[in-house]
Formats: sequence, structure tokens, C-alpha cells
Amino acid sequence: MTMDRRQFLRNTGLAGLGAIGAGSTIASFSALANEPGDPDDYRALVCLFLFGGMDNHDFILPYAPSAYSELLNARPELLNAQGEQRARESLLPLGAEANPAWALPPEMPALHGLFQSGSASVVTNVGPLLEPVTRQQFADRSVPLPPHLFSHNDQQATWQSSEPEGAQYGWGGLFVDALLGSNASADALAFSAISATGVGPFLTGRQTRAHRISPTGSAQYYLLNALDNARNGGADELYTRLRSHLSGVGASRRHVLERDVASAHGNALVVNERFNEAVGASEPLTTAFPGGGVGGQLRTVAQSIAARQALGVKRQVYFVGMGGFDTHSAQATTLPGLLASIDQGVSAFHTAMQELGLGEQVTLFSASDFGRTLAVNGDGTDHGWGAHHFVVGDALQGGRLFGDTPPPQLGHDADAGSGRLIPGLAVEQFAAPLGRWLGLDEEGLIQALPRLSAFDGGGLDLFVG
Amino acid sequence: MKHSALSTSSWLSSESDGPNCRAASNFRRALSTLRFNRLAVVGLLFALLGSGNSALAATSCDLEPRDKARDSSPADPGFSTRVATHRFLTQATFGPHKDDFQRLQGTAPSAWFLEQLSLPPSYHRPLLDEYLARVDPEVDFTDIFRVSTTTFSFWRHALEAPDQLRQRMAFALSQLLVVSNSGGNLLAVVPQGISYYQDILTQYAFGNYRDLLEAVTYSPAMGFYLTYVDNRPADPETGRMPDENYARELLQLFTIGLRELNPDGTSRLDESGQPIETFNNDDITGLAGVFTGLTYDARGRQDPEALARPMQMVDAWHAREEKRFLGASIPEGTDGIASIDQALDIIMAHPNLAPFVSRQLIQRFTSSNPDPDYVRRVARVFDCGSFTLPEGQQLGSGRKGDLDAVLAAILFDPAVRRGRDSNPEFGKVREPILRFTAWARAFDVEASTPEYHSLLWQAAEPEALGQHPYRSPSVFNFYRPGYSPPGTRAGRMGMTAPEMQLLDASTIPGYANFMTYFVFEGAGEDNELNALEERFDEAGVPFDRKAAAESFRVDYSRQVDLAEDPQALVTDLNELLAYGSLSPDTQAAMVDFIEVIPLSGGGLGDQGRWLRVGYAVLMTLTAPEYLVQR
Repeated sequence: MTMDRRQFLRNTGLAGLGAIGAGSTIASFSALANEPGDPDDYRALVCLFLFGGMDNHDFILPYAPSAYSELLNARPELLNAQGEQRARESLLPLGAEANPAWALPPEMPALHGLFQSGSASVVTNVGPLLEPVTRQQFADRSVPLPPHLFSHNDQQATWQSSEPEGAQYGWGGLFVDALLGSNASADALAFSAISATGVGPFLTGRQTRAHRISPTGSAQYYLLNALDNARNGGADELYTRLRSHLSGVGASRRHVLERDVASAHGNALVVNERFNEAVGASEPLTTAFPGGGVGGQLRTVAQSIAARQALGVKRQVYFVGMGGFDTHSAQATTLPGLLASIDQGVSAFHTAMQELGLGEQVTLFSASDFGRTLAVNGDGTDHGWGAHHFVVGDALQGGRLFGDTPPPQLGHDADAGSGRLIPGLAVEQFAAPLGRWLGLDEEGLIQALPRLSAFDGGGLDLFVG
Repeated sequence: MKHSALSTSSWLSSESDGPNCRAASNFRRALSTLRFNRLAVVGLLFALLGSGNSALAATSCDLEPRDKARDSSPADPGFSTRVATHRFLTQATFGPHKDDFQRLQGTAPSAWFLEQLSLPPSYHRPLLDEYLARVDPEVDFTDIFRVSTTTFSFWRHALEAPDQLRQRMAFALSQLLVVSNSGGNLLAVVPQGISYYQDILTQYAFGNYRDLLEAVTYSPAMGFYLTYVDNRPADPETGRMPDENYARELLQLFTIGLRELNPDGTSRLDESGQPIETFNNDDITGLAGVFTGLTYDARGRQDPEALARPMQMVDAWHAREEKRFLGASIPEGTDGIASIDQALDIIMAHPNLAPFVSRQLIQRFTSSNPDPDYVRRVARVFDCGSFTLPEGQQLGSGRKGDLDAVLAAILFDPAVRRGRDSNPEFGKVREPILRFTAWARAFDVEASTPEYHSLLWQAAEPEALGQHPYRSPSVFNFYRPGYSPPGTRAGRMGMTAPEMQLLDASTIPGYANFMTYFVFEGAGEDNELNALEERFDEAGVPFDRKAAAESFRVDYSRQVDLAEDPQALVTDLNELLAYGSLSPDTQAAMVDFIEVIPLSGGGLGDQGRWLRVGYAVLMTLTAPEYLVQR
């Protein structure tokens, strides 16, 4: 079922107000917020999307001496340019066994610590599939493949929604749909899906739409604020009329895009006010985040989670984005800084969740367009397919690598050419345990991930219990 | 070898519904032969092209009978009214200037179009040199003033250049053939690269798409941005492969796209109803070899001018092996320049090219979700390289990809000129940059000093416009041509609406705040000037405080005169900014608002008139009718 603004208003009792009047909206929102209930009943997923296609081969590195020398063999130019940073002694081995097989790069000490202490795991060679594919089947094109493999925008969309560019619904939004059901409060509809970056398909469900926040929080109209402050001085009528104009309501319209723009304006105004009010009333976090970029986004997300009760939400899905991973060139100089930013941002976020007492109630995971070629093009790498990803949170069965990690060589069973990995795990198998943990039942899961049944086992045991 | 046999055979086969343009079928026939007798045919092919086309074009590019029959629209109002004039100029320029109607009244839009074609191009490099001459040469090359110099030149030409049509086309092309100085890359710190690229787009705006692609391919900005500068051949020793970045995006984004298209831009489907992919990764690997061997033409150490000269081909670094892609092949041993020539010709011959590029250009000028018939009419002109203006003048040389003809076909299409209310799905959300430029031009902003407004240095933030010229986050531009906004009416109707990708709870107030600053002349504030002066000092650029305080002042004089009659003021703004599209409800809401502001007294002194105008302008700029161009 789709939900447009008119229905949204009717469901919240706001429709009778006509032009949304100042103050009354906020009051109505609060009155209709979820009953207090159990304050501990809260869970959230955070998707950290690494735009451009993070190089899986430079994120999970071979540590076993024989495999490490295979990597040296496969990427001599790149490893030479990387120097000390990729020397075997510099790597951070994963796991407690005597002979760890895999390692993280030295730019990720915090993620390594979380892995070792059981608060992070790695899922290897996961990517878009329609059904399991072998190397021979790929070469023969004898099984259906996801459309437009190796294309950025299409694989971003496919990761988020199982469809290429133009996709309408993403599994984050469909998760929220399933959890909210048909009697969702206005608050829950507005704030269950929040994006700290541009809005892609991931958080769009049949009724769910993402609320966009920026590192400075939710946006405000300066002019409206100025009139608001002057209301006692006689600007009350001006404030009310400008607010009504900016909310896009009131005019009858025939043009499709004008109607959509007007709806977007109305939603933005009301929801921003409500969000700012709730976050403004919450305790500021003391955890320090790295400035700018992904750190700033994760800080805003953490602050929004801190305001969860005022926002009237019990289940949330967040989307955070970071660019720069399309390392066709200069990978040795650009990728380490990006990996370090991930490491610092994610670790600050984990600390902030512990500060809120929500370490076991919030799980963060990474996603990306695709992995990259093992073959090097001189000083960079090209578009791949399957890739390795991390999950972070205290509810996880941590310290584990899920999935088969192909060796760092060409021509193995999962090589689609030049070391592009044919995924061993479908995105659905990665997403299913995240959805179950968030609270979806099997029926809801199938609605959100219709292709899940094409794969064995219905997903991974990412979580304890 | 199976090498994309499916896609090749399907687009080589003749097609009953295709454009009856013989040049295209010549291409197809020639191309199919190319596979068997390549060397001999290449020369023949170009001979055919060079001679055959122009004769064909005049007849084959006229409207097809079905379009003529359907075109029962009232006559194009041309420049007969203020509203019609402003609507045309909203589609074709960075916004109608306040004096345009007075100047153009009663003339024909096609005369304006021809005049625009004949104006000398306004290039960016002279402006860049002006700015660089002001920067202290000792200053750090990452200084933000330096980084912003190509942005300054963009704003100046967009707002003031007489060759508006050319500048607008160059801007449209910059969103199709994307390079970006986002993220402090080389193109940010060596502005010569973007400037040179801006001038390529300016130069070829009315030229031929094949020539434009060639200039782009050799441009250092693109070579850097899509990482094929210093790209080397495969090396079996080290396992190195040529960089595939440009090969992929050239096909996917710049020329043919991922799916085979009908001549009207819709997807061709196979027997099972599925879209047909135009290429696979083997094509990319094959084409990647073509773009090896190019390097900067540097004359001395750290020569910034290397980014303002075409890249040079070093044949010793060019892949010698056979390059196979799209069912065609470039023989082993072909040198670098010849390889690029042949590759671009092969791509130009692909039947997807015309509908793929035409549809995206339509989206930049007139409509987000163009009717397939409209796409087909424009794509036909693209293929045939010729268009007849309403007054009978012939545009284009008859060569496939002549952009002057294509642009005319987009703007003079009968369905477009039928009027703004004819179709509730026709139109587009105005790009944020164009919303701002339309305001500035409507009030004759003195725009020669964009450097005095820090908001214009970095407009990409969601708190500003969410869009910045030549600074999109990736080669995928700020929005995708195939974007269909989820959860909206347009989305449910399956409409594409690229600019809606920028519309969210952060950017909606962000744009309003950005415009509030300019509409209410926020620049004069002391703290703003102090902050700006600091930036100028860091760059070693002399700061003229008086000029800064007066920069971007607007001419609201006509509106201030109308301020005591709110309806007259609203009518004026409606015609000037929104070509009469404001609904009666919106106009009434504006009148109600304006009337509350006293003309004088009430603590406002004599500011009342001015405030009425400011608020009325801001309300116009934030009305959905303004935000959507139709």
C-alpha cells in the first residue's frame, strides 16, 4: 500500500487543520507519538555505504605466508607502491588461532580491536546474485545474472534494492514497512528511516520514506526563524502565512511534478521541526567523533539515536555514505586515508552506542557498489563484483569470518576474470539475519527479500542466540 | 568467440520502425562489413559519410507524416507576449533578463536562435587569467580562492554572457560529459584543467558530437578524472591490465548506455520481454586498450598549462594488440591516434547514440520524462544532422551529431511550443543552479564579482544549492537520467524526474536559505564581509570592501513602484520569474502576505515597499510553480 501526504495527514489527525498552523503540528505529533512502553525495546541498523566500490583485496589481506606471497605475485606494482603499509609484519591478523589466515590493513586498528574482542565480524565475498553461480556458468552465461554488473550506479542500486538504477524500493525501507505495519504513528513513519546523506533507494519502502538529516542536524528556514522570534513584536501573522506558503499546502495543482514538489515541501517543514525539537531536548553525547565526512554523519546518527524516545521510535534503519572508493588510480595513496576514516568513525560510533547503553541494540554494517579486480592497472584497480564487508555491534557473534574467502590469485573457482569475485554469498543472505535481528518474521523477510529462497540456508548466523 | 553476438546482431539488423535515415543504415551495413574486411572498409565508410549525408538530410529529417498529422496545436506564440517570451528563454538560457521582452517583442524565436548561434563564444580562460593574476603567486596552491576561480568564471558567464544559448548548452553538456573538481583533487588545485574543459564544451556546444567526444577524450581533465592519463598496455609479467574506467563510462554514460534502445529512447526487448544489454565486460576490456598511451603535454616541471593542452599520444605506451568491442575490431598494430579515431567512429555509429544523448539533452532543457515521440523526433535530427527552423532556415551540416540542429529540434518541437498548460506531465524540476541564475538575471544583478559571496564558492552543500557547476560528487552527475522518485506520484507513474533526486528535507530549506541571502542582499553584513576579507587575505588577493558590500545588488525598481498594489506586484513577478505559471491560490497567498507589511511606518521606516518586494520575490522563488519548469 502506498501512502501519500493526504493519507499521512488523515492518519495523524492533521488533515482537519487545513493549512498546517504553527505550533499545532508539533502538538499533534507529540500527542500521537507511541505510548511510552518499554524504553529498552529499541533496535537499529546502520548501513555504511562505501560509494565507488571498496577494494576487497586491500581490506581483507592474506596473512598465511603462502597466501601472502600469492598476493605479492598478483599485485607487485601496487604492493611496491604501498611499501611498509602492506608488509606482512604490518598487517593486523584476525582471530586468536596460532596461524591466522587473514588480516586487516594497519589503518584499521580499532576495527581490528572490535573483531578481536567479539564486537565485529567480517562477511566475505558477498554481492548481488539472482541464484548461485559457478565460474563455468558465468562463462557460459547459462544462469541468470544481475543486470549491469560492474556498473557503479546499477550495482549500488542492486545492493540496496535487488534492482538496477530506477529501483523504487530498498530492503532497508521494506524492513521498516514490515515492522511498522499499517497502524504506524506519524512519528514512526517520519523517523524510522533516516539518511545522513543523499537519499537512495535503500530506505524507501512502500510506505516508508527516508528523512534526510545533515551533519548540522535537521534543516531550518532562517527567515521563518527570524519571523518566529519576532512574533511578539507583531510578526505573528507574517510567520503563519510564510510557514503555510513554505509548507506547499493550500493551492490546487494539476501538474504531477508540482504536486510532488509541494508534498516534499510540506513533509520537509513539519518533519524537520519535529526532529529538531526532539534532538534539541536530548542529552548531548560526550563521545568524541572525528570531524567532517563520515565521522560527522555518524555523530548525527548517534545523536538522533539518543533522541529515540522523543522521536517516538522503537526500530530504526539509518543510511550513512562515504565516497572516494573508486580507486582506478593512486590507490596506494588514497585508500589508506579512507580506511582510517572508516576505522575512526565506526569505532567512535560503537563507543557512543555503549555510552547510550545500546551496544547490543544497534548494529552497523558496510556495503559498497562492488569489490575490485585483483589485477592492477598500474596504480589502481578496476570494477569487480563480490566483496568483503564488516558488521559491528555487541549483539554479534563477533570475531568471525563468515563465507569462503577466495585466495589472492587469478583463475580460482570464484574468479570472473582479472580477480573479480563471483559472490559466494548473495546480498539477501547477508541482509536476512540483519532483518531477523531487527524483528522481522519469516513472512516479512520474504516480502522484503523476495529472492532469499533461491539461496541455501536463508542466511548467516551473524548474531548470538 | 561469443563476443556480444546478441547485441551486435540485434542492432545491426534493419528495423522497420527505425529512423528512415540512410546515413544510419549505411553505417550499420558498413560496420557489419568492417568485421570481415576492416581496413578496406574504413576508408570507404568515411567516404560515404563525407559525401552522402548532406544531400540526404534535407529530405529525411523533415517531420514524418504521423507527426505532421498529430500536430494540430495552436501556432507557437513566439515572442508575442511577455509570458511566452519568458517561457522560451527559461528553457533556452540561464533565465530571461528583465529587458529581454522589450527587446524581443514581435520578433521570431528562430531569429533569436540564429542570432545566438552567430555570437562569438564567451570563453572561460580569459576570466581565469584575470583571477589568477590577482592571486599572490606565493600562496599555497590549495588555497580555496584559487580552487574557486573556475566557479567564478562559470557564474559570470551564466549570468552575463550574451551567448546565453551556447553557455546553457555547455552547462548541459557538463552534466553529461562529467568532470569534477570535487574533493580537492588535481582539477581543484590546477584550475587550468577545468577551465580548458569548460572552453571545449563552450567551443563545441553548437558543433558535432563526434568532434566533441574527440576533444573530450584528449582533454587532460577527463584523462585525469577517469584515470586514463598514463594508462599502459597489459603486461603479462606483472598481471597489469589497462585501466577500464574511461572505456566503461564512455559507453555507459557518454554515448550508448547499458540497454539497447528503440529510436524513441525506449528499451528494446528480447523474445522473453527482457531489456538487451549493449555490452559486457569483454567489450570494456577490449575498448580499454584504445585509451592507453595518452600523457600530459607538460613542458617543464610542474607545468600547470599541461592541463590546458590536449594530451599527447606516446605510441610506445599504446596497446598494440587487436581491440575488440561492440562487435567491431581495431586491428593489431594500429597506432594510438588511429585507434581512438576508429573507436569513436564505431561508437558514433551505434544506433543507441542518437536516442541516448537526445533524451538526456531534452531532460536538461525542457522535460524530465519526455514523450517517446518527442525523443524520436529529436533523435532523428541527431542522426540526420539537420533541422529546419519554423521560418524555414536550415540548421546543421547533415552530419550525424550536429548539435545546433539537435538543440533547435529540442526547443522548437511542436509539442514543446504548444504551451505550458497542455500536458500536466511535461516539464522538469528546475535545477537549483538555474533557479538562482533566473532570479539574478531577472533583476539585472551586477554579477561581475561572484567572488564576494562565499555561498557561490561552494554551492554543493545541502545547506546551499545542493548543486555546483563542474563539481558533482562523481561522474554520475548530481542526478541520474533514469531516476524515478520513490514514494511520489511521478514514481508511481513510472516517470523519470532526475532533479527530484536533489529534493529532500535538507536541501529544500537549504535552497530557501540560499535565496533568502541573495534576495534580501545579505552580503552587506559586517561579519560576512570580515570573514570574506580573511579568505582574500589568505589568498593574497586585495579585498575591496566597498565593492564587496555592493556586489550582487539587484534592480527591484519596477517592483518597488508596484509595491502599493500587491496584486500588480504579484502579477509582475509571476510573468517575470514564472512565465505566468503561479496558480491563483499561490498568488492570493502572496497578496495576503504582502498586505500585512505596512508600506511605511510600523517601525519599518520607508522600508515597507522594499520588504514587500523582497518577500514577494522569495515566495515566488519557493513556490512549486517556480520550482517546476513546464
